[in-house]
Amino acid sequence: MSFTQVARSCGRFAAALSTARLASAVALQSQSRMMHRIAVPAISTMLTQNKFTLRHYSARNTIEEIEHRVLKVVSAYDKDSCRGRWQTQSVRSYSAKPPLSLKLINERVLLVLKLYDKVDPSKLNVDSHFINDLGLDSLDHVEVIMAMEDEFGFEIPDSDAEKLLKPADIIKYVADKEDVYE
Amino acid sequence: MAQVPLAIVSHKRQVCSLYKRALRNLEAWYDRREVYRYRAVLMRARFDENRRKDLAEGMRLLACGQQELFETKHFQPRNFANSAGGCAFEREVIPPDWVLDYWHPLEKAQYPEYFAKREQRKKEYVTWWEKQYGKPDPKDLGHH
Repeated sequence: MSFTQVARSCGRFAAALSTARLASAVALQSQSRMMHRIAVPAISTMLTQNKFTLRHYSARNTIEEIEHRVLKVVSAYDKDSCRGRWQTQSVRSYSAKPPLSLKLINERVLLVLKLYDKVDPSKLNVDSHFINDLGLDSLDHVEVIMAMEDEFGFEIPDSDAEKLLKPADIIKYVADKEDVYE
Repeated sequence: MAQVPLAIVSHKRQVCSLYKRALRNLEAWYDRREVYRYRAVLMRARFDENRRKDLAEGMRLLACGQQELFETKHFQPRNFANSAGGCAFEREVIPPDWVLDYWHPLEKAQYPEYFAKREQRKKEYVTWWEKQYGKPDPKDLGHH
């Protein structure tokens, strides 16, 4: 290829480029001219919006924002999985009494006796005799035994009730009935 | 077995038992607690006013009270769950301890440590019994 040929082809290429540029310019011009007639602000906003949304998406992918989103999803998943785990835990869902201990029985018996209006709470002791120390009579003793029945939810027959003359006896009796040893 | 009367019940115990049954009867009739308490206080006053009567009068009053309790008995009394008449009465049957002595030797052989300890405990109990109550009379041993 001679130098003239190269120059000529270059010139042709340049001319083709310029025509293409011209054509696109014309097309743009005609489009914009038509659009300009219809609604100028609409096209401008559309263009700017398009640009803006594109930029918006690209701008959102910063490391902080991705981190934030990922952590949000992970924390939500953790909550869900925690809830699931809690539900699958072996929870005793059948109805039963709470487990008793000697200390708890002691506290409950003494509380019932303190709330009984004929018993003086200052004199009350685990080893105080109902009739001799606390001054109750036999009908009051019946009422105390009934209160203990209601508190612990089982019947105390009369033959056993007449032997329960101290709070300590009641505690021992209830512990024997409920199989509590410690 | 606790309910079977094995001795002559004293008058005082009969009155206490009547008082308890009367209160439970009131509890069955009046389910509001404050209403029940009012009735219970009235019942207590009735028992208290006859406190100082002599025994003959007391026995007559006791018979009257038992008759009145029988007449005013609730048709569907409230019972504790595990006592007779309750909803869970005899729900859990706990087998007695002597059932273990009638296990087959092959079954016992599956728990050798427990049954060795159990035999030891039985021997200790026999020695404790003989120390407490003396040796058994040879006439009383065996079946009649």
